[in-house]
Amino acid sequence: MVLDFWFIFRVLVFPGFTFILFFTMFCDWVERKIEARIQNRVGPKFTGPAGILQPFADFVKLLTKEDIVPRDAKKTVFRVAPILSFAILVFALSFLPIDGASIIPNSSFAGDLIFVMALVTVANFLLFLSGWASASPYGAIGAARVLTQFLGYDIPLFLLALAPAFLAKNLSISAIAANQYLPFVLLAPWAFVLFIVALQAELEKDPFDIPHAESEVVGGLETEYCGGKLAFLHLTRDVQIVFGAALVVELFLGGPYGPVFFGLPAFWYTLWFVLKLLVVVVISEYLTCLFARLRIDQVVTANWKVVLPLSLLSLTLTVAMATWVYPLGV
Amino acid sequence: MIKEALSQLFTKPATSKYPFVKAEVPEGFRGKQVFDIALCVSCGLCSRDCPAKAIEMVEVEGKRRPLFHLDLCIFCYQCAESCPRNAIKSSELFELASTNKSDLVVTPQASSKKETVHSNDT
Amino acid sequence: MTQNEQDLLISTLQNRMGDNLQIHPAHLGKASIQVKSDSNRNVMAILLETDKTAGISALTGLDMGEKIGLMYHMRTNGAIVTIRTEVPKENPKLQSITDLIPGANFHEREAADLFGVVFEGHPNPARLVLPEDWPENLYPLRKDAKIDEVTVKPATSESQAETVQPQSDGTLVNVIVGPQHPALLEPEKFTLKVDGEIVKQVEPRIGYVHRGVEKAAEQRTYLQDVYLVERICGICNSCHAACFVESVEKILGTPVPPRGQYLRTIILELNRLHSHLLLLGHAGLEIGYETLFQYMWRDREPIMDLTELLTGNRVIASSLTVGGVRRDLKETDIPKIKTALANLKKKMGFYKQLYETEPTLKMRTQNVGTLAKEDALKLCVVGPVARGSGVAMDVRKDEPYEAYGEIPFKLITYNNGDSWARFMVRLDEIYESINIIDYALEHLPEGPYRVKVPRVVPAGEAVSRVEAPRGELFYYVKSNGTAYPERVKVRTPTFANIPAFLKTAEGGNIADVPANFVSLDPCFSCTDR
Repeated sequence: MVLDFWFIFRVLVFPGFTFILFFTMFCDWVERKIEARIQNRVGPKFTGPAGILQPFADFVKLLTKEDIVPRDAKKTVFRVAPILSFAILVFALSFLPIDGASIIPNSSFAGDLIFVMALVTVANFLLFLSGWASASPYGAIGAARVLTQFLGYDIPLFLLALAPAFLAKNLSISAIAANQYLPFVLLAPWAFVLFIVALQAELEKDPFDIPHAESEVVGGLETEYCGGKLAFLHLTRDVQIVFGAALVVELFLGGPYGPVFFGLPAFWYTLWFVLKLLVVVVISEYLTCLFARLRIDQVVTANWKVVLPLSLLSLTLTVAMATWVYPLGV
Repeated sequence: MIKEALSQLFTKPATSKYPFVKAEVPEGFRGKQVFDIALCVSCGLCSRDCPAKAIEMVEVEGKRRPLFHLDLCIFCYQCAESCPRNAIKSSELFELASTNKSDLVVTPQASSKKETVHSNDT
Repeated sequence: MTQNEQDLLISTLQNRMGDNLQIHPAHLGKASIQVKSDSNRNVMAILLETDKTAGISALTGLDMGEKIGLMYHMRTNGAIVTIRTEVPKENPKLQSITDLIPGANFHEREAADLFGVVFEGHPNPARLVLPEDWPENLYPLRKDAKIDEVTVKPATSESQAETVQPQSDGTLVNVIVGPQHPALLEPEKFTLKVDGEIVKQVEPRIGYVHRGVEKAAEQRTYLQDVYLVERICGICNSCHAACFVESVEKILGTPVPPRGQYLRTIILELNRLHSHLLLLGHAGLEIGYETLFQYMWRDREPIMDLTELLTGNRVIASSLTVGGVRRDLKETDIPKIKTALANLKKKMGFYKQLYETEPTLKMRTQNVGTLAKEDALKLCVVGPVARGSGVAMDVRKDEPYEAYGEIPFKLITYNNGDSWARFMVRLDEIYESINIIDYALEHLPEGPYRVKVPRVVPAGEAVSRVEAPRGELFYYVKSNGTAYPERVKVRTPTFANIPAFLKTAEGGNIADVPANFVSLDPCFSCTDR
């Protein structure tokens, strides 16, 4: 890897940090508009054309607010955890091929699927720490719920992510995305559906919305945060959503690969990636609007009694299909 | 709910486009008071009966007339009911917010100048 | 209450109490009995023997110069029976009845706060409606109370410390819900003592929105008081106005013309419609179902527009007055009302199906906050909270007022006793309200809608009850022959229902607290007055 202009451009501008930042805000706008239209209202409308600058305006507004650290909070953890979590998620995104190659060029290696999912677990754990470090019962309860939920659902998520790995016979995300002669959603639809459900739990969206349950714990782990740190917490959550959707796109929907017209593959690959990701975001948001919020014990029961056994079953089924059925047709 | 949520995605939003579109109010709406000084007989019943003590009797050209303090008024229109001569009527004005306290009164005008319908934004 | 039951009750009491009991001439409810202050427990015990489901509706205090009068308004067999007693002002002591009737807990604490009566044997004689730093020995509702001398002390950090810092006693952590909390519409403080995620005990502190309406009502004329009591609660404003004017009309002895009664019924039912729709949508918000909330409030808008059409304002109707209603219904408005209600009825089909079949909604509300029928009766709860636990209690059926005696409708009860049952009661009541309004529009009598009443009301006292959307609303009005009332007592339904929340929250999860809480439809402006 040579530290030349192209490397810096890829990492910092496109498809790196700046692109991810603006794309995250764009996905946030899409989510809010879809949620509003499902609920028969308008959504963001006035900041920028059709309200597209609203997430950016919210971010800037939070940056201008006073930044208070509670007296009894564990100050270093309180300050560092949100930003570190955001950084780790962006780093995890850099292993996913967006314009045909991963952001840090030639960085994909065998087994980076496991590495990326471990990074996400660490990022979630840092979110737990940020809630635990704020000296407030609401923060503590919210953080405990985050921990219970993501630790529980990480296991089925991982098992389901192995299904495309079996189908592609490779544990590297770039290889899985590149080897999809048919998108794996068609070859293993059961894994796709379950993955979306488990992803709702990882991303803390309805019906697994409980860490953000305002009516019970005011703000959950965000309660004591304000100002710039809250802006980063929100950004972290949005980047998590983009990451989850990106993972679905890479593993099941064929990654950024699609038809290329008139040359310039980098542009077309990015376009297909963006479109596929938006489809996943819309599906996820539709599911969010459809359900009420489950209690934490119902979430945990749903995990151990329903989602986990079904994901084991799905893995078995995929392996069976991959070994015996699919080689016949290909 | 599955079908309903999907179908609402393609329905026009239920949000009304106020303030870019005028808000329609029905007849009989209790808005800003319109006071007709020609009918007033200075009995003072409106001021006595006002539940919010928002009507002050002031001297205008030697007679006692009501001055309506809109920042105290609760728009119940008991004054209109108590008035024996129907001198107090309602209008359709409800956009009464102002940064100027002197806008929030309905003064008994000495000459019978008809209240023009205008909003109070400066 | 039939005449037989009434005679049986009076004769039983007279036989058992002998000289201690006199029949009081002012008939408040079906009967008024005067007893000596040390016999109040005996009377309660006898009452409970004749009717196991008897409960307390309100406890009115009255400053009678040298004495303080206390009136227990008991609800038995669907009617009110008032038991009056007196204590001397210098030594106002009385035995508490909370062990016989647990629902009297809050009522006695309020009388202690506002009149200074000491109830011996009360399990928790703490302040209820007045703030902690209110001066001792200053009882606001006594006629000689010098309230103007009370100065507001600035809040110091010591006075805030107890309320702000969450402490834990032993293994239980205090999770404070309120006074500002997203789950609450209005400020009250509930301290949940939790062990992990299980709530062991709930300690309420109400009185944050106490505005002293009862005292203020004594300083305004009857006409001005109608507007004052309307503003006790924004959502059930017409019910407060209706209850107050009914009491005054009983003292005056003026009957309201039939057209006025029917118009009042229409306005009260529109009030019930918008309140139930508000609550069912709010329930969605509390359990995280925002889509349901947005849909339901969108469908509530036509009702607000109808109220604006009929009364001139979307929320506070200001349409009832002593002697009738203030404005007539125009013939051209009737088709608009019918169309809007027909549309609402169609939409309700979707919501009913949603509440009955949607899995996440049922998981959050079924078997959550269960209130058994015996507890509902002992705690004297009212309204849909009682009807959701199988208690068939509705003032519109028990003692019909306005035009309800002539309009057929069903009394909705569900036996499950959980939050889901309480929501379903309200949902079905929406259908009934639409039918009531349609019937009233069909059979609207001709004639005047209002009669003139004198400004000075002759001396007398009366009670009246109205079925507000949240339950039985109770008013007692006493007049002393001037243009100003001597005493106005308001007992709102949420005041009677909060003890039910304390009971249903125990043993449940913290996560169940919002769903449980919203199912009893709390309105704290009503509670605190």
